[in-house]
Amino acid sequence: MTGRLKLTAQVLALACVAGLLGLLVWKVTHQEHAPRVGAVAPGFTLRRLEGSGMVSLASYRGRPVVLNFWASWCNPCKSEAAVLERDWTRYRGRGVVFLGVDYHDLAPDARTFVRHHALTFPMLEDGSGRVTGSYGISQVPETYILSRQGRVVAHLAGPITDPGFAADFRSALARAAA
Amino acid sequence: MIVRFVAVVVAALALAGPAAACAHPRTSLTYLEGQVMCPTCHTTLDQSNSAAAQQIERFISQRIAQCATTQQIESELVANYGPAILAAPPRKGFDLLAWWLPIAGVLAGAVVLAFGVWRWSRRREPEQEEPADSGLDEETERRLDDLLARFD
Repeated sequence: MTGRLKLTAQVLALACVAGLLGLLVWKVTHQEHAPRVGAVAPGFTLRRLEGSGMVSLASYRGRPVVLNFWASWCNPCKSEAAVLERDWTRYRGRGVVFLGVDYHDLAPDARTFVRHHALTFPMLEDGSGRVTGSYGISQVPETYILSRQGRVVAHLAGPITDPGFAADFRSALARAAA
Repeated sequence: MIVRFVAVVVAALALAGPAAACAHPRTSLTYLEGQVMCPTCHTTLDQSNSAAAQQIERFISQRIAQCATTQQIESELVANYGPAILAAPPRKGFDLLAWWLPIAGVLAGAVVLAFGVWRWSRRREPEQEEPADSGLDEETERRLDDLLARFD
């Protein structure tokens, strides 16, 4: 009886340790990383920030996409807003799609931001940060440029107005739109 | 005299106004700062000074001024940011595990400890009460004791 009890306790303890180890391995292997250049961009469906309805990234397959992650509380996002709007009006005629993904933000503040900066490209809500997490975003603004096939052409971690990024943004946009 | 009376009444009404504006006791920003997470820095709001945390603090202050209850404010934040915005997991569904597992663990540990102590005490008690039998008869034992006494 005592031997069986001891064995049961040992098996239970081992099962607990194995369970915890399994959780650790799962956590390490499921950590989200930024998709690399050339990789297929993670798909998503998000609610529109203004108006109603959902928008799916897959619905833009066949067109180059500029995916800009931003938030109304982010100061550098304010400085790049005008540049994004200008490029959107310049490239939309060539079939390029601009999508703004509002991240960890209060929707009313985000709407005020969009109106204040007169942004006209589609804006999507990601309050929980689920989609933003799948793109490995740790701070905003960040911008991905996707090819017509939905692959990552460029990833700019910072405002596109930064001197180092402005040229990269233009050339990546030209490559994606080609 | 009349002027003083009117002044007191006006002052009383002015002070009573804000208190009477809410039908229930107001919640506080300090309390909610400990209950709500900063979504970008993964600490509670009271531990964070980030822009995202400040935005949520402003929202909470506005809602408190509008007499919103703690539950209302929390559910509005959950609707916007998802359940991870709350420092404590909800007490329903799968999240209940987060509340009950630590209690179950402590209880299981207490049961194992109690069982171990009980077994240990049961094993020790007979040894103290009944000395081991030498296997000698009384006469031999007495003689052996006498012999050993000579060496004392």
